[in-house]
Parts: sequence; structure tokens; C-alpha cells
Amino acid sequence: MTATPATSPATASAPERPQKPKPSLTVIAGLVLAAAFTWWAAKEIEFSLRDLFTNFTNGWVVIEQFLSPNWSFIWRVWEAWVETIAISIIATCVGVLFGLIFAFMASRVTNRSGWLYRATKIFLSIVRSLPDIAYVLIFVALVGVGALAGILALIIFNIGIAAKLTAETIDAVDRGPLEAADAAGAGTAARSRWAVMPQILPNFLSYCLYIFELNIRSSVVIGIAGGGGIGQVLNVQFSRFEYENVAAITVAIFVVVLLIDQLSQYLRRRFV
Amino acid sequence: MIELKDVTVRYPNGVVGLDGVDLEIPDGQFVVVVGLSGAGKSTLIRTINGLVPVTSGTLTVDGRDVSGASKRELRAIRSKIGMIFQSFNLVKRTSVMNNVIMGQLHHIPGWRALLGAWTKDEKEKGYQALERVGIVEKTWTRASELSGGQQQRVAIARALAQDPSVMLADEPVASLDPPTAQMVMKDLQRINRELGITTLVNLHFLDLARAYGDRVIGMRDGKVVFDGTGAEADDAVFEKIYGRSLTADDTLSSNA
Amino acid sequence: MTSSTTASARPATPRPTEPSKTKETLVWLGLLVLFGGAVVLSNARWSQITGIFTDGWRYLQLMGQGLFQNPFSEPYSEYWSLAFDRMLESVYMAWVGTLLGAILSIPLGFLAARNVAGPVTVQITRIVLNAIRAVPELVFAIILMLPIFGFGPVAGAVALGVGAIGTLGKLTAEALEGIDPGPVEAAKASGAGRFSILRWAYWSQVLPEVIAFWLYRFEINIRASAVLGVIGAGGIGSLLGQLFSRREWEQIGITLVVIIIVTIAVDSVSGAIRHRIIAGSGQKVTTEEKAEAAV
Repeated sequence: MTATPATSPATASAPERPQKPKPSLTVIAGLVLAAAFTWWAAKEIEFSLRDLFTNFTNGWVVIEQFLSPNWSFIWRVWEAWVETIAISIIATCVGVLFGLIFAFMASRVTNRSGWLYRATKIFLSIVRSLPDIAYVLIFVALVGVGALAGILALIIFNIGIAAKLTAETIDAVDRGPLEAADAAGAGTAARSRWAVMPQILPNFLSYCLYIFELNIRSSVVIGIAGGGGIGQVLNVQFSRFEYENVAAITVAIFVVVLLIDQLSQYLRRRFV
Repeated sequence: MIELKDVTVRYPNGVVGLDGVDLEIPDGQFVVVVGLSGAGKSTLIRTINGLVPVTSGTLTVDGRDVSGASKRELRAIRSKIGMIFQSFNLVKRTSVMNNVIMGQLHHIPGWRALLGAWTKDEKEKGYQALERVGIVEKTWTRASELSGGQQQRVAIARALAQDPSVMLADEPVASLDPPTAQMVMKDLQRINRELGITTLVNLHFLDLARAYGDRVIGMRDGKVVFDGTGAEADDAVFEKIYGRSLTADDTLSSNA
Repeated sequence: MTSSTTASARPATPRPTEPSKTKETLVWLGLLVLFGGAVVLSNARWSQITGIFTDGWRYLQLMGQGLFQNPFSEPYSEYWSLAFDRMLESVYMAWVGTLLGAILSIPLGFLAARNVAGPVTVQITRIVLNAIRAVPELVFAIILMLPIFGFGPVAGAVALGVGAIGTLGKLTAEALEGIDPGPVEAAKASGAGRFSILRWAYWSQVLPEVIAFWLYRFEINIRASAVLGVIGAGGIGSLLGQLFSRREWEQIGITLVVIIIVTIAVDSVSGAIRHRIIAGSGQKVTTEEKAEAAV
């Protein structure tokens, strides 16, 4: 314990009042920048909500149709439902498998080669930067309209997500078993399999389910561009202005997504 | 035989781990390395199996050069050197058997290792190693369900399954309670006597060092400052190694 | 334990039998059947997969040709500037949409937080938020926005905004539920009004985290805006749709590269800001983890 300087009691009786801290310059600059960007962006896309009030009746016609769904249509297109589920299953299985391999390559914990690690990181960020719709368009051009294009597009899309999430989990594993595997002279693949894989397995399985959910959600997008499944049916009904059918399918997608959500949450709780 | 000739280890951050160490450890010896934390005893152990690269000097284990070995050679050398850690370093989410077989991964072809398709021989080796440390009844239990002492014995079995000629142990009893610590030390000693495996153990309890070490090596600031038998290592020697007077924390029995 | 000299002399503990692998095998078989069934039931024409190798190589070459032309010569300079223009339009669409969704999600987030609103309100709000989360933006755009706003980025922005309400509302509610109750009690004890408690005790605690969620949603919305573009909301998606229907591979190559460049640039700026905001507030879990869990 150091003794208090003798001068301090004198100043302590009348401490100087601290100035109100000035808001930091970066925060102000950031806010100004954000406001300017918002103003500019709104101007560029000619953003205005006026139409919402003047043209609401246009929308209301559609919404009215939408509020009387044609339930029987859901079952009439059961084949498309099966197709969507099948597409999602295939894409999930293949996507997470490759995603896992890329994840091991995209973590410094398991990849001891510096250049391969960086190359994988760059490759994965490029894969993730393209929107899912771009992949569907590319594969429709390559293999034609249909489920195959959807499957291939989702596989690429899934690799990006699975690899990113899993690589982050690998970064956080307990390094002890890795050191033990190294000390026993295990090879790179064997040490990834036995020192890392058991540690990340619960998380990885939960990512698999999450990706399966995402794939079901994406089925609408996939269908719009010609990737097969229920989305394609939706697209056709849209172009024919059959909003009763569209409504029925939308509600059904909603229910399916919710059910799969519940199922996967139940399974995830069991894994972790 | 382990031979270090003027071995220096400098870490990338500039810290000197070993400073011109010369050592010769004949086959079958039970060596205890003592010193304060940061004295370089952990570096010494990790340099012998190449987990820490040598900056200068030469290091050979059974006539094989560790200091200049390629990655592939290094793995082959390591497969003959068992290692035991303070925190056991088991994979907790898998069975004891899988953990023990990890010691044999060097010799198992890649595809079988990926699938976990172990042969009868590999499992037999695992069983024998577990029998030697007296924990065979836990073979198919998850490692996470074992107590600390049991986990350390599984870790010893994992090292034994390598058929090692050298056994390294880095503070193997620091995370264990005194009776368990004594048991693990006895296991190590018995394995050393029965199988003739050269054993190097890092310890900071001087009573354990005296009781088990055929030879005691004292380290300070990366240098060997004492090298003699357990009997020669009296309190005065330890005070010299530690650079301070001894306290109750330096013996295991007083910690009980 | 007896310390006998050889291992064989010690009393043998019986070896436990290896647990059966039937369950594991059945799980794998089940997965295999599921996968095989999916392969058959997907109606995919698998033989066409060869198209990747035949056409794929050719198209890749064409895309490469477009990319390696002098970008300042006609018509390539136009391809580049058109792609950048449209991509920026997508970014604007995503920004305005995200902001719209963010503003609308604030009151809903409060209403869905158990430590702010009553149990009935919370339940109702949560159902609404979950319903919004389950409907893809695409459906909002086609049903609600296109008939009202017509084709164009405004419809896209509003659709993205409405779509963002669900996730952002849920994340805001969860952030509010995780706050330190101390300041709230202090404010109550000093007799502060309800609104000022919400503003100063609740909102200021969650603000950094919530802004990080907004930024993350903005990153997602840039990708989502491409989808909306394909159905006529403008931006990069519209351009892609047109180019693919005309098979303009040279221009497609340029456009894809522009998308990659702009997306990675925006992601890294936004990500850096997010990490700074979150680091300042001492959070451990990343925005991504929470946001992914809430999608």
C-alpha cells in the first residue's frame, strides 16, 4: 500500500467536475456518412412510399385472392413437394460433405500449409459472395431446366455456408488432443479425423440440419430460375396470376418450414 | 539413447527456451527434470520429439537426427516416442479404445483411419496397453466419463500402444490429487522397469523427484544447472535450482 | 493393484466386450436409403450432368475472354460500367430495405421481449415475427409490392424491408431479454417514466448489438436483392436474368466478377464495423452465430 500524497485531501474536497465527454469523432463521422448514404441511395432508387397509399387498391385485389387459398392445389402438386424435399436432401448431404473437407482446409488448426489455407479462404469467400440465384442461373445454362440444376446450385451454396460455420468451430477446438496426435506421429488426415472430428461433431450435425432447413426455404428461389421443385410450380402459378394456388402453396411452405424447424430443433437439442 | 549436443531453442517471439544444452540419456534410464516454470523443462521434453524445433545444435534419438528431420521423418521418429501431458489431452467425446488407438495412427493406412476400421491386432494392442495400466474394464467407456487419474492412465496406455522406446511426460501429475499422483508415478516407474523404456518426466515436486528419479536434472533459465542421482539432490541443490528457499508448495506430501 | 514383475502374472481383469455397432450401422443405412431415395425421387436427369464438363469449359473460356479484354475498349467498358451501376442499385435497394425493416423492427422487438411487454403481447408479436420469417422475400415482393409499386427497386426495397422485420425483431427481442437488469431497477427507483426507462435503460444497452444485426442483415439483403431482381425489381438480378436468357457469356463473366468484388468489399467494410461495435460492448458470441441461429 502506498501512502496517499499529502496534497490530495485538499483537492479531493473540491474535485474538478469532469467535462461531459465529447462524442467520439468516428461515431459522428459514421452517422453523417450513414445518413448521407441513405439519402443518396433513396434518391438513386427513387424511393417513395406514396404508391403505397395511392395504389393500395391494386394490391388489395391480389391480397383478396391471396386470402382465399385453393387448398386442394397443395395435394395436386405432391410430386413437386417430393422433388423439393429430395433436392434438399441430396444438396445437404453432398454440400456438407464437401463443406466439411473445405472447413478442415480453411482452419489453421487442421491445415498446416499456409498457402493452401489462404487459397481455401479466398475460394470460399468468392463462393459465398455470389447469390444463390446466380448459381441456379449458371447450372440451368449448363444442364438445362429441372431438379438437377437446383441440386447443383444448392450444393455449391451449401459448401460455402457449411465450410464457414464448421471452420469457425474447428478454430475453437481444444488443442490438447491435436498435440497428442502430433506427438504420436499421426498424419494430417488422421489427426483431423480423430483429434478434431469428435469435438466438432455435435455442432457439425446441427449445421447439417440448419442447412437442410435453408434448402427448403430456398426452394422458392430455386424454382423461380428453373431449378425444379415446388418453387417451379409456384413460379408457373404466378405467371398465370393464379394467386389462390400461390397462396395455398405459400401457406404450405410456411407450415413445412415450421415443421422442419421444430424437428431440427428437437434433434439439435439431442446432439449438443 | 538420447543425445543433445549444444542444443539451443529460440521461440519466434525471441524467448530462449533452451540455451546450449548438452545431455546424454542412456537407454532405460528414469530421468526426472526439475525447475521452476519457465526454466525450460517443458521445452526440453518437447524438443526431444520435435514438437518444438531446434534452433541450433544437434539432437538424436536412438541414432536418428531429430534436429534436421523432414516432416515425414519426424512423424516416424515421434511414433517411437510416447508422450504424456499435464492435461491428459484425451479426446473426451470418443471411447477409451479410440483414444488408445490414436497412439497407433502412424502405422494405420489413411482410409482405415478415416473410417475407424481397426484390425484385431490394433485392438489387441490397445487392450494390452490398457491392461498394463490396469484400466481395461473402461475400454469402451467415453473418455469424458473418467476421473482425472483414470484419464491419465488412459493417456499412458495411448503412449504405450505406440510401442515406444522413449516415454516423455510433461508434468503428468500436476492436475492430480496426491494419492492419484503417487499411483501414476508408480505406473510410470513400473513401465520403465518392466519394458525398459527410457523415461523423462517433468516434475516440480522435489519429493517425487527424489523418490522416482534414477537421475535428476535441474534446469534454470534454459540451462542444465544440476545433473545427478536422486540421492544427491538434497534441499541445498534444489534451492540452487530454484534460486530461492524451499516452501511447502515444493513437496507433494505437504500438499496432501 | 499388485505390482508383479510381468504383465502376464497379474490377475487378469476380464476384457469388456465391444459394444455392438448395430445402431450406428442402422443410422448409416438409413441415411443411405434416404439419399438413394432422394436421388431417384428428385426427377433430376442425372445424365445431363456431363453438360458441366462439355459446356462448362466452353462457357468458362467465353467468360474468360470477356474478362481479359481491355476494360476501356468498346463494348467491354460498357459491360463493366453497366454491371457496376446495377450492382450499386442492388446495394442501394438492400440498404434502404434494411433500414426500413430495422426501423419497423424496433417497436416489434420491444413488444416481443418478455422483460418489456406482457405475456399475451409477447406471444402474439412472436407469432407475427415468426410468420414473417417463414415467408421468403420473394413472396412478399410478388404478392404485395409489385402490384402496388410496379416493377423496380422500390418494390424490392420494401419487400426486403418487410422480410427483415421478422429476423431483426426476433434478434432485438432476444438482445433486450439478455440485458443487465441493474440499470432498469435503478431507473425505476429514481421514478423515471416508462418511455425514458425503455429509451435509456433498455435501448442504450442493446444498441451496439442491434446495429451489428442490422449491418449483418444488410450483407444478407445484398444477396437477396439479386433474387428479387430476377422477377423484375431491378438491380444486378435483373441484369443477370437478361444476360442468362441471352447467353451473353462474355458479359456474364464480367458481371459475376463485379458481383464478387462489390459483395466482398461491402462485406469486409460492414464486418469490420460490426466487429468494432461488438468489441466495444464486450460481447463474446459473434453476430453471425446469433443471426444464423435466428434465420
